[in-house]
Amino acid sequence: MRWKLFADLAERAGDDEINVSVDDSEPTAGDALDALLAEYPQLADRVFTADGDLESHLNLLRNGENVSDTGLATPVSDDDELALFPPVSGG
Amino acid sequence: MQTLCVVGDDASAVADALATRIAETYEGRVATVDYGDAVDNVAVDEGDPTDADGRFSLTSKGQWVGRGDDRSLVDLLDSLAPDYEYAVVAGTSHHRLPTVVVGDSDPEPANVVAEAPTADAVDIAALATRVDDFEPHVTLETLIDRAEASPLAERSGAIATFTGRVRIKDSPEDDRTEHLAFEKYEGVADERMAAISDDLTDREGVFEVLMHHRVGVMGPGEDIVFVVVLAGHREEAFQTVEDGINRLKDEVPIFKKETTEADEFWLHERGG
Repeated sequence: MRWKLFADLAERAGDDEINVSVDDSEPTAGDALDALLAEYPQLADRVFTADGDLESHLNLLRNGENVSDTGLATPVSDDDELALFPPVSGG
Repeated sequence: MQTLCVVGDDASAVADALATRIAETYEGRVATVDYGDAVDNVAVDEGDPTDADGRFSLTSKGQWVGRGDDRSLVDLLDSLAPDYEYAVVAGTSHHRLPTVVVGDSDPEPANVVAEAPTADAVDIAALATRVDDFEPHVTLETLIDRAEASPLAERSGAIATFTGRVRIKDSPEDDRTEHLAFEKYEGVADERMAAISDDLTDREGVFEVLMHHRVGVMGPGEDIVFVVVLAGHREEAFQTVEDGINRLKDEVPIFKKETTEADEFWLHERGG
């Protein structure tokens, strides 16, 4: 699957499009995020709270749809595009 | 209007070749802009000196030439945008516009889409195929024209528009904003804007809702975002244009980074 990062997340990673693979028959967004953080550990304290939850102000999208309700438990597949970004600030 | 700048050595020759190729390949109208210290005399014969600041010559068939002393590059492109599908600018760039660099260019443009060591090395055909993929130069006037072309235009008695622009300071003692930079989630941002427009167009008496948000770097006073509503009456026009910009700001994945005299920060980090 492919991650897309925006704003300060992309700056911190030094990259805005990152392919990851997860060795699991039923992968979740959480598995994909772990794979991302394995390559870009500098994102970890930006993405997780002290309790290990996804920062509540971050948006998580799967193929352009917001999946913040199911969050890291959202099932994902190999050809998905996942996106992580802070609150939007257009206009 | 798809706009492409060419800077560096032989910019004019490369721009001419590109404009020719684009005109041969696509149906839309093409304009070229030659930027430099001297105005090409083909514009208008010097003629008798007058006190007029602008000088135009027009035929009954709509052919015209003009010269004046009052336009920036952005002013000129804004005035071309409603009438041309393509513009190729030789000799200068602007921080937001896609730019081809031939040889060296100082300073380096912010949005370089192609580089070549010499004019001969520029792949004109390949660039012409890509020109529709570059971010277009969209103006308020372009959107108003599109709204007025609506099949329901004859029932419309009102157009309301919103323009968001780069504010230099929010209060007198604020640091001056030097520029804003916007990035968007390509594809998803446009889908969400289209969904908002569709929603709002379902309202009684609302016929067209058009929105456009520019990306890249924008300087003080520059336009950032436009919302245009074509409606039956002013009440629904005003209400819808307000709801349109509010929803765009809440829902569309676009991110703003501000550079002031003293600082640089992402807007979400300041809660604004």
